[in-house]
Amino acid sequence: MMKRIVLGACLLLAASAPAVAGDADAGKKKSTTCAACHGPEGNTPTGPDFPRLGGQHYDYLVKALEGYKSGARKNPVMNPLAANLSRRDIEDLAAFFSGQKGLVTKY
Amino acid sequence: MKKTGVLSIFAACTFFAASPLLAADAGGDPAAGQRKNTMCIGCHGIPGYKTAFPDVYSVPKLGGQQAAYIVKALQAYKAGDRSHPSMRAIVAGLSERDMADLAAYYAADAVKAAAK
Repeated sequence: MMKRIVLGACLLLAASAPAVAGDADAGKKKSTTCAACHGPEGNTPTGPDFPRLGGQHYDYLVKALEGYKSGARKNPVMNPLAANLSRRDIEDLAAFFSGQKGLVTKY
Repeated sequence: MKKTGVLSIFAACTFFAASPLLAADAGGDPAAGQRKNTMCIGCHGIPGYKTAFPDVYSVPKLGGQQAAYIVKALQAYKAGDRSHPSMRAIVAGLSERDMADLAAYYAADAVKAAAK
């Protein structure tokens, strides 16, 4: 009985949130370039077609930046910026922006 | 003169009433967007939902996102500048009007999201 409860709790914990490998504090220090367009916390974009990043899922942000870096996702502004980011930078930035309040899941 | 004055006030009111709306929803109708989002909610409406193909990662949150950005993202799927297979299949059936309406619906939470 006890074993089952422990196993269940472990499964729940494992499933509940994507593992955040990045360091949010380091990400904040690296985010000055991002802030110019997305706002300091990723919530006040300076153009109508720039996305808000605050509160976005960590693993989605990683996926998006990796896509811009590899060229799988095309954008004339983001491709050259992401090309200069290491995997570590991407994880740190994703940790910082995903940790901000902002975007919500809407049904 | 009096008539002109009234008209000017009316025009000014219309302008100020409409301008934040235009800025917020990029011309789309949020109510129409809500009626068109049945294809979106199966993934984007479920907290923590992840795509299973071709990679596993959380689908992006759309509530409070900028309307013009959502439209641009949908157009990028249509043009092939973004590659996700499910999204490419879904946008193939969307008109420009549909995209604007959906964007307006998801962007409508911007103020609430910013306050959170």
